[in-house]
Amino acid sequence: MADNESGSRSSFLTSFVKAYGTLPLHGITAIPGKISGALMLTDAIEDAVPLIHGPVGCAFQRKVNPFKPHSPFYTTPCTNLNDTDVVYGGEEKLEQGIKETYQRYHPNLIMVITTCPSDLIGDDVEAVTRDVSSEVGCDVVYSTGDFVGRSKPVGYQDAFYAITDQMLCNGDGNGDPERNEGSVNIVTFPIHGAGIKVAEMASVLGDMEIGVNKVCFDHTRVEDLYDLPKADLNITDFPMQWAKLMDERSDVGCYEILGWGRYSEEKDPELLSPYGIGGSSRVFREIAEMMGKDGKAEEVIRRRRKEAEERLSKVRKDLKGVKIAALGGLHGVGLNLFKDAGVDVSVLICRTQIMESRLTEEAIKEIVDMNMNLAEICGFDPEALVNPTIEEEIKVIKRSGTDLVIAPSTSAHLYNREGVRTFDPTSFMIHHQRVGFECPIELCQMLKDALKTPQRRTPLLSMLEHDSQMHNMTPHWAKLSLAFNLLRSDAIGDRVKVDADIGGAEGGFDR
Amino acid sequence: MSLIYDPPQDCKLVGAMRAIHGVRDSITIIHARPGCHCGMILLKALGSNQNDVRVISSGFRAHDTVYGAEKRLSAAIQLSHEYFEPGLIAALNCSAPAIMGDDIEGVASSMEEKIPAALMTMETGGYEGPAWIGYEEALAKLTDYMIPVERPSADRINLIGIKTDDINAGGDLTEIRRILKDHGIEVNTVLADASFDEIKNSPDASLNVVLGGDGLECAKVMRERFDIPYIITPYPFGVKKTTEFVELVANRLGRKVDSELIEREVKLVKDGIERVCMFLQGIYDMPVAVIGESGRAFDLAEFLSDELGLNVCFLAISSKNHLTSNRIEDGNGHFGDVFIEPDRFEMNDLIKGAGVSMIFGSTFEKHLSSEIGAPLIRVSYPVIDEVSITDAPYAGFRGTLHLCETIINAVITQNIEEIEE
Repeated sequence: MADNESGSRSSFLTSFVKAYGTLPLHGITAIPGKISGALMLTDAIEDAVPLIHGPVGCAFQRKVNPFKPHSPFYTTPCTNLNDTDVVYGGEEKLEQGIKETYQRYHPNLIMVITTCPSDLIGDDVEAVTRDVSSEVGCDVVYSTGDFVGRSKPVGYQDAFYAITDQMLCNGDGNGDPERNEGSVNIVTFPIHGAGIKVAEMASVLGDMEIGVNKVCFDHTRVEDLYDLPKADLNITDFPMQWAKLMDERSDVGCYEILGWGRYSEEKDPELLSPYGIGGSSRVFREIAEMMGKDGKAEEVIRRRRKEAEERLSKVRKDLKGVKIAALGGLHGVGLNLFKDAGVDVSVLICRTQIMESRLTEEAIKEIVDMNMNLAEICGFDPEALVNPTIEEEIKVIKRSGTDLVIAPSTSAHLYNREGVRTFDPTSFMIHHQRVGFECPIELCQMLKDALKTPQRRTPLLSMLEHDSQMHNMTPHWAKLSLAFNLLRSDAIGDRVKVDADIGGAEGGFDR
Repeated sequence: MSLIYDPPQDCKLVGAMRAIHGVRDSITIIHARPGCHCGMILLKALGSNQNDVRVISSGFRAHDTVYGAEKRLSAAIQLSHEYFEPGLIAALNCSAPAIMGDDIEGVASSMEEKIPAALMTMETGGYEGPAWIGYEEALAKLTDYMIPVERPSADRINLIGIKTDDINAGGDLTEIRRILKDHGIEVNTVLADASFDEIKNSPDASLNVVLGGDGLECAKVMRERFDIPYIITPYPFGVKKTTEFVELVANRLGRKVDSELIEREVKLVKDGIERVCMFLQGIYDMPVAVIGESGRAFDLAEFLSDELGLNVCFLAISSKNHLTSNRIEDGNGHFGDVFIEPDRFEMNDLIKGAGVSMIFGSTFEKHLSSEIGAPLIRVSYPVIDEVSITDAPYAGFRGTLHLCETIINAVITQNIEEIEE
């Protein structure tokens, strides 16, 4: 009964999150500002409170959470800067504001987040926070968005860096705590539901005799943050500036699951595929090597892998010969997961429009080539379609006898009305895709369920006009997207190459 | 009084954007760092008009704070014209470029000849004031584009103060138009829910009707410039306020109110409430809190108290207008203490202590409602977790029944086990 209850709650949660997952934000028509990113981090620390050093709008409007639109940031006190403060400065207000924030909320951490006005008028936020912190009974940290260069999301990266720099490894002894020898921290982006998604990873590491010091963010409190420097290694899902700083100052190594930095040196597409049996084995092996547990790890990986492969061979039986049209890109379902599931990727669709004003032509070509290269490594020989119209896609999908299209719910109806079934990658990526051996087994089951869905020939969504190129959007939203990307980049010419930066480039072309 | 402030209202930018976005063929350019633009997009995209989001960013980047971003703004104006061919392009200058001193008016002037659309600019730095000031100023600015009419049409009015992103605004407007039409009164232009041509044609009306006091500045400017008188009416929640609304408008136009018509409408309301009379009796005297903007919240609170018999023990005005102080005095005891733009932390504490059974507010009261186990009726801006596409109004005679239905359902659909937990 309890399991059923928990199952149905989890099913609703998936649907709830998905209902908001179709908003074309994050580099498509908009980019959240630094305040939102800093709020996301602060919100993920249970006993922390933000203090926005700015006018009311910076506090009120940011209650709308672009990373989780279903969960507003309900607590966003601000220093209420007005035009007089813009002339004479807002340092006194900030000082008073920090004291009042402590008196009102009694947090263990106050995260001061600066805004455009306080940045531009030159308030010495560092001095104010330093001076006032002895007068309040909690940590006070400030984030300006200037600590981490172009690392994205800037606000999140910056606030975490600020915590590490000003609080955890600030040279006053905190950064040299008693070590939890042989342990790691697993720190994932707060929207990813860390507790659930790293359980298997923690279990495998445990078998390798690697302890888990902390998992963030999972009911994380300030005292948990102070424990982070006790570990030997920080495992993060993508490159994090705070982890690099902790490595420098406290000798806590860092390992990135998505190896963007290494990819730019080695150009090995498998470095960007940490999932599935092969990808996960590689990740576990690399972590073990860094922790000096190589020998033990091989035995554990072999055993866990064998167990999983035995179950996988049973569950994937029905998928033999099933043809899939997959989406290429930076953030999609990994092709090696399809390899594990035993399906054939017959069509590989790459959409680059959204990135065209952000990336160089070479970068886009490299991403397309990288996907084809990865397909080849996985033993697929798909027909590649770059920026096809929906008609072109359908034609190739039908001609190739493809059974299932990996299509987010923004465009699924376009295939369904043509009698082609679809599989939603977004929910899978948010709730299931992770390092570990169970993930391909779950994928097999989900693919089988998708193949059993009824033919949906008349979805109401098909009544709507869609853009011929970006067919996951209406023509109006496609224009908003084009306008956004053009205006943001064209005048400056700051397109990025395929290097570490690209990993942080929002959007990808997976939607 | 605390210095720190968790605000219940937004800044000037949002007020201005809400007014301008009501011009159906307008584009609003947010000349700002990305956060402001993202916030505007979200407020619009999470509402009930996802097909009609007309807000773009000028693409302002961090390094533009050194060299200025006027070129970006001109590119945004040019592109807005090319992509959307709007009647009106409004550039809103936000905190960063405003402090740097970007000359957005100069940019607009230099482009006037090559852009067929009207170009409007406004200073909307976050530190320059709250949302309602931005709303008033933007609506008043629209009068610059209005074309004088020598003999305005009789029995035609403009409605001022409608905000298209208020929950059920579309339905409310349809209902208000219907009631007025039944009395032989035509709506000329709605400020702002109109095409730019209709905005220009606003002076072809014999009366401006200011709903709840929102947009009063615009009405005053129109009286100065075009000699159009104005009246302030309640936002027509409930039978009493709707009747008062019709009477005020008709009397001012020198028309007689069709009492038979009103009686028929009231009869329909009576038939409706008769069907759920026991539940209405059951919720009589229920303690509630109302949080909302001045233009609507006072009238809603009075309806809840005077007509439904609910006990409005807490009223918070999240965003003022020019009439707010008068409205407090006119309350006739229908609400207890009134809090004007209170700090959210303090407001929540007061509501928690007030023992209310229901909250009438915005999405941002969801957490509070959950904490105290009181259902939330979403009636105030912003509502970003409920949609409304059926044109069912909250205003007018028909809206009275819809409100009754919503309130009763919010009570009786609760699961007692969750309440008792």
